[in-house]
Amino acid sequence: MSEARFAAALAALSQPHDGSGSLTEPILDVIPVTGASVSTLGDLFGSETVEASDAVIGRIDELQFDLGEGPCWDAISVGEPVLEPDLSTPIRTWSAFADALHREHEIGALFAFPVSVGSLRLGAVDLYNEEPMRLDGVAIDRLLVLSGLLGRRVLERAIRLSGDADTGISRHGRRLIHQATGFVIAQLGVSADDASQLIRAHAFAKGQSMEEVAQQILDRTLTFTVSGARIEGDA
Amino acid sequence: MTEKTREQQLLQVFVTLADTLVADFDIVELLQMLVETCQSTFDVTAAAILLSGEDGLDLVASTSEESRTVELMVLASEEGPCLDAFHEGRAVTVPDLREGEGWAGFRAVALENGFSAVHALPMRLREQSIGALTLFESREDVLSADDVDAAQALADVATIGILQERVIRENQTVRRQLQTALDSRIIIEQAKGVVAYTHDEGMDEAFRRIRAYARETGRALTEVSRAIVAREIIV
Repeated sequence: MSEARFAAALAALSQPHDGSGSLTEPILDVIPVTGASVSTLGDLFGSETVEASDAVIGRIDELQFDLGEGPCWDAISVGEPVLEPDLSTPIRTWSAFADALHREHEIGALFAFPVSVGSLRLGAVDLYNEEPMRLDGVAIDRLLVLSGLLGRRVLERAIRLSGDADTGISRHGRRLIHQATGFVIAQLGVSADDASQLIRAHAFAKGQSMEEVAQQILDRTLTFTVSGARIEGDA
Repeated sequence: MTEKTREQQLLQVFVTLADTLVADFDIVELLQMLVETCQSTFDVTAAAILLSGEDGLDLVASTSEESRTVELMVLASEEGPCLDAFHEGRAVTVPDLREGEGWAGFRAVALENGFSAVHALPMRLREQSIGALTLFESREDVLSADDVDAAQALADVATIGILQERVIRENQTVRRQLQTALDSRIIIEQAKGVVAYTHDEGMDEAFRRIRAYARETGRALTEVSRAIVAREIIV
């Protein structure tokens, strides 16, 4: 039964995201937690919730974005899952986030898994449970696989929202974009498709044209790193 | 250079061209060789080839990867002697870019590039026009009529080579073959990006590096580029 559910979740999250299907339902079908969310984090796409299964996890995301700390940030910075099976005896300390969370909700357990494309971490899956709960090895492995699939879905969504970002690009511009794609391949070790989608999604997130972003990449003022994008002048 | 060595050189070029036209030759490679040969044999400042694809003319080979030259050729696919040579199937010569009328945009950018004269030669076989070879000079028009004839002969051999393979098949296939050559240009641009980033060098150097590797290993330019983009080889 659980194998079949996992297979169904895999199938659901392997489909290109056209905006109709849910990204969190397949996760909740497999992992018996109260709620889950998918979010993008950091400079690359901005910090925002892509989908939240309920208001509580949506608020948990929001608090983390506003305070700049919490499990999703740790997950994206270390590139590994962050597990808090019992928040009454937390393993990590996020003083501001823990205080704020405590004022609003009583939550038993909180988990965060990084969402990546290739080596680039672009967001996180957050999960919470009302009661304390422990994720076993199988659950963790499954969540790693599912959050791995979500990287591409998150990228597709950003591109879908960007509309026809690549119409009206000159031939010269296209050439620059191809060359910049090569830069990103070398920076992240991703495929050409993923690299050009990253450029497109980043352009959308920044409200810039693909050509402008390509030029910044070629000028080396914008560099993609595993934890996001580094823009010259940033610390 | 004496007349004799030039004749010898030309002969050598035809031999090399013939050698290149073996089964399954790489069109981009052939055309790249052609522009470089024209540059060295006729002592012109730059040479470039626009090929007809699904989307109109597009740059497929150039002696300079410098962005202002590439920009000029992109403009040349929209207006100017190259486009006319392609459409009318005849050589179009502009002995002095400062004189004459029409193509104001093309003239201005060509002059900015430091060019003073242009020879645009059609690449066609009977009714089939596939593109144009363009030679740029920075001094006054110094190409003799013989030079132009020789350059046209080289362009003809290349054109025949490209069309010959598919001569029994219909037009559609030729068009697709040309489009494939233009598409492989995308992969070459991406590969240049990978190499330029890896070695922290310009696009010109990156392109030379890729070609040198292709020659040393006896592989086609497109094939090597594909392997670089797929991270199968590091050049």
